[in-house]
Amino acid sequence: MITLQAALAGALIGGLYALMAAGVSVTWGVLRIINLAHFGMILLSAYLTFQLVTSWGMDPILTLVVTVPGMFVLGGAIQWAYDRLGISELNSLLLSFGLLILMVQAVSIVWSADFQRMHESANPYATGSVTVGGLVFPITTLLAFGFAVSLIAGAHVALQRTFLGRALRACAEDPAVAAAFGIDHRRIGTLLGAAAGATAAVAGMLFALANALTPASAFEWFGTVFAVVILGGIGHLVGTLAAGVLVGMVSGVVSVVLSPAAAPFVLFSAIVLALLLRPQGLFATRGAA
Amino acid sequence: MTGRSTESPRAMRTSARDRAGGLRYAVAFVLAIAALATLSLYRETMGFPMFYLVLLTTMLFWVTQATSWNILSGYSGYFSFGQAAYVGVGAYTTAVLYGRHQINFYLTLVVSAALCAVLALAVGALAFRLRSLRGEIFALLTLAVPFILAALARIRPEIDGGQGVVVPIPPFPAELGRFQDFLYLINLLVAGAAVAVAFGMQQSRAGWALAAIRDAEDVAEGLGVATFRYKLQALVTSAVIGGVGGSVFALQIGFVAVESVFNLTIPLFVIVMSVLGGRTHWFGPVIGVAFIVLLQDRLTASGLGDWQLIALGVVLAGLVIIAPDGLYARLRARPVPVLATFALVTAALWIPDLPAEPLDAILAGMLAATAVALWRPRRRGAVPQTRAAETSAAVTDADAGTPAVTAADASAVARPSDAAKPATPATEPGEVLVECRGVARYFGGVRALEDVTLTIREGELVGLVGPNGSGKTTLVGLLSGNLRPTRGSIRVAGHEITGLPPHRVAHVGVARTYQIPRPFASMTVRDNVAMAIMFGRSPEPLAAARRGAQRHLEVVGLDALADVYPSALNLHQRQLLEMARALATDPKLLLLDEALAGLNPAEIDNAVEVLRRIHRSGVTIVIVEHLLRVVNQLATRIIVLDRGTCLADGDPRAVMSDPAVIQAYLGKRAHA
Amino acid sequence: MLEIRDLDAFYGDAQALWNVSLDVHSGETVSIIGTNGAGKTTLVNSIAGIHRSRRGRIAIDGVDVTGVPAHRVCEHGVAIVPEGRRVFPHMSVYDNLCLGAYRAGARPSYRDTLNEVYELFPRLAQRRDQRAGSLSGGEQQMLAIGRAMMARPRLLLLDEPSLGLAPVMVDAVFEAIEAISARDVAVLLVEQDVERALDISSRAYLLAEGRVVAGDTAEALRRSDEVRRSVLGL
Repeated sequence: MITLQAALAGALIGGLYALMAAGVSVTWGVLRIINLAHFGMILLSAYLTFQLVTSWGMDPILTLVVTVPGMFVLGGAIQWAYDRLGISELNSLLLSFGLLILMVQAVSIVWSADFQRMHESANPYATGSVTVGGLVFPITTLLAFGFAVSLIAGAHVALQRTFLGRALRACAEDPAVAAAFGIDHRRIGTLLGAAAGATAAVAGMLFALANALTPASAFEWFGTVFAVVILGGIGHLVGTLAAGVLVGMVSGVVSVVLSPAAAPFVLFSAIVLALLLRPQGLFATRGAA
Repeated sequence: MTGRSTESPRAMRTSARDRAGGLRYAVAFVLAIAALATLSLYRETMGFPMFYLVLLTTMLFWVTQATSWNILSGYSGYFSFGQAAYVGVGAYTTAVLYGRHQINFYLTLVVSAALCAVLALAVGALAFRLRSLRGEIFALLTLAVPFILAALARIRPEIDGGQGVVVPIPPFPAELGRFQDFLYLINLLVAGAAVAVAFGMQQSRAGWALAAIRDAEDVAEGLGVATFRYKLQALVTSAVIGGVGGSVFALQIGFVAVESVFNLTIPLFVIVMSVLGGRTHWFGPVIGVAFIVLLQDRLTASGLGDWQLIALGVVLAGLVIIAPDGLYARLRARPVPVLATFALVTAALWIPDLPAEPLDAILAGMLAATAVALWRPRRRGAVPQTRAAETSAAVTDADAGTPAVTAADASAVARPSDAAKPATPATEPGEVLVECRGVARYFGGVRALEDVTLTIREGELVGLVGPNGSGKTTLVGLLSGNLRPTRGSIRVAGHEITGLPPHRVAHVGVARTYQIPRPFASMTVRDNVAMAIMFGRSPEPLAAARRGAQRHLEVVGLDALADVYPSALNLHQRQLLEMARALATDPKLLLLDEALAGLNPAEIDNAVEVLRRIHRSGVTIVIVEHLLRVVNQLATRIIVLDRGTCLADGDPRAVMSDPAVIQAYLGKRAHA
Repeated sequence: MLEIRDLDAFYGDAQALWNVSLDVHSGETVSIIGTNGAGKTTLVNSIAGIHRSRRGRIAIDGVDVTGVPAHRVCEHGVAIVPEGRRVFPHMSVYDNLCLGAYRAGARPSYRDTLNEVYELFPRLAQRRDQRAGSLSGGEQQMLAIGRAMMARPRLLLLDEPSLGLAPVMVDAVFEAIEAISARDVAVLLVEQDVERALDISSRAYLLAEGRVVAGDTAEALRRSDEVRRSVLGL
């Protein structure tokens, strides 16, 4: 029973990781840029959520009204800058790493390195939970999963069914020919970066709902998120979601059955196996989306 | 692999002069170490403040780590984000074995070296084997590894268990002074060894291989460089150095906890330091370390400690944009202005005691010198350009801008050569060299080659022709090992090459050129060719390889440009370089893929002459060409491909007048 | 419709085209013939904006588009069927076609255009959900042409559409080109298959080693010896 609880709870939390991973994965797959600054945006959003709730008593979910546009602009600006500079894939790693450090430090200066948590009185979602059968699901976890699935599903549909989505996928496969049919690589890249920023804003808010924040959180997400990106297949949204759920479930089960800190190994071994057997990801079938 | 390289590569690579000056380096090195050692051994006599010694100790620690990073990531271009893994493993090995179990401290250094080596082997074996996304997957793997190890340390009480481990001061000879002196000296030894290894590696075969991997990995493989082995070697060396440095670090901090040794700031610092100083050279990290550690120290001293990481982030981002090659390259290019600025500014501030602390003067001097180094004058007239221009004038005497000629004129130009020099084979075609049986290659639903069966004998000069899309380049790719056949078998010189990696096919005796030349940008023309000899079928050491390279350059006519860098060559010269490099692998079979694309008539004639010379020296040649008049002049035999199958094969004149061939070229419903 | 004057093209320091001048009028089909390496693809890519031109002039309907990037050139009604087809291999046939109609001028009517394309190439309709990379060479060629048609072009550029195709496929392709031309679309056809190209063109230019060496009516070129010599390298 406990195992089942852990597995399901883990699967739900996995949704949040998938949401974090989606932004990185799609920009990597389509634009060939590995944007570590994405984690900085998630962190910033989390702290902004905290601040808006604590100082102005906003409902945590409503803070999205502020953070989403903000991160939309920031994400787009960062992507535009990458494109303008014309940097290569590996240099984008370095550059975004520098940006990430900047952002983490800025957060540390403004909010200090102490743990910050939204007070329960301000955060109506923190304590609630839903009980089904003998299983308890905290509201925060359900919310995280709900948002993640809706956003990823929406993005997937957009990628598959809309002209813009097709343009993105075409750009991933053959930018020169895509351009010949009217697709402006820079504009599309900026738009994608902005969309990724928006997802970062939501992910940050969801994280802040249930966790205490510290600047170092940004680095703690690395391992899991990249595991999800690689397992799900770079650029594949549905695969990312599935990988997120799987990773979350496995982490949950391992924490309970073995020990909480054993989870990273299992994860790591999973990545190793996946890279050996199916380098394109467990769920991918080639190409973007 | 490492992004734009906009600096003159001359500054980045050690030239032949440095090779001879190796002894000078060794002497200078020993002197430097000795001088640094005296700072501690005679500290009290000299009145050298302890504080400076501590600062130097910090610098030495970072020199070790940055050099460790550079040996793999700088030299080969495979960025690692996992430096903290080595520091952590090293620190915990010493902490647990010595701190907790009182095992000899010096022995723990050996153990941590071994453990790091094993770790590196595991990661490398996994990441370097995968052909696609090698660099990126490696970077991400290295990002994840320290977290895993940190988690391991945290849970296992035998290691840390969340409590941290105390590391007491080990016994050391009293003559050395205080503990801080001992620490300094041991760091000096380790850092000195690290730099010596980096220096040695850069000059060695491995160093050249890594540079080639950085510049153009698949080309390097085609020349016979065993890229997997060299990358793994560099990774393990890097790990061992990092681990030993980590062990000493444990001593320094006295109390080892997960956050302090598996910290993400470690790879950040190391990357910034190496990128700032210069990634491709052993001295780069030293410069970068001196700068960053000093900067950090001064920031902390003036109360701006919080801004350290922000400064670092800005420096890293700025570097990637402005000067990805680092300061060392700029320093080498203009040593006098940069060093003079440093000396002047430092002296100007220090002597009148302007800042209270001399270190501030030094930092100011460094900042000024950096500004001078980074400033690029508008004019881009590099000297090598004119040398190349002169020589290219000699090589090509036709004016590229002549008005349009009619087809009649063009063939009139061609005809005299046609009549005067029919192709004569060097010898009668000999043994069977290449055997293709039932070879097919599909790309998804497209059948590029279908059931190709042919034999090529030694001494032939085969023209491989056919309409566009007929599969010529695909066939070349199959013969060189870049592509695997979907079906069928290919034997070269008696060896089955189907499924062999390109560098093994190269060792069997196949060399190919690419239509778009891909020289190693950071090496001179001569060294590009020397690479082929150093890693070819009968490898030779550098000096001998360079002599051999000169001979090959003479065959193609590039000997006057031997010391020039590829960026200064025009297209024709770069194609000749491709040919020379391919030749230098001493191939039995030379595959030329559209080696004459984009050339003017005079250059084409020159190239034809070069090819004849090569053929006469006994090399079997397969040339893919569109210019049929050239192929007619050169080839002993023509194979015509059409839509993936062999349409005609035989004597040039016969083949080109075969109605089926004419139809293939002119159209499917040709009438006279 | 299309006017090119004194076009030079470079790849780095290597010159590929010298002083190329040519015209294509509305509703015409004009061929560019010549051997490989003559610069035909460079010419077509320069018109489409895939290759940025530095010297010379390219004008579409009088508007100067020299040096304009590809995504803006297509707004002027130019569509390209690239050499080697270059369909988007992991996207479905349907997605490839829809992508063709991305430009603002073509998007509103994309459903109608799609039906036209399916009529012309029934096989594409059959395989509409299949991944483009798994189609045969001939089917990919049809897809590439269909994709270009979706852009409702006024000028259609075709780069070696017969490349690597079986004769019966080539027949189908050229029939399609004639059908498109009949709708008053200007067609610039680059071809190795001289006979077929001249069959469906009113005029043609012979390109050799980066220069226009002849330009005349298709009839005249068919009769001349120049073409045969140039292409066979005699």
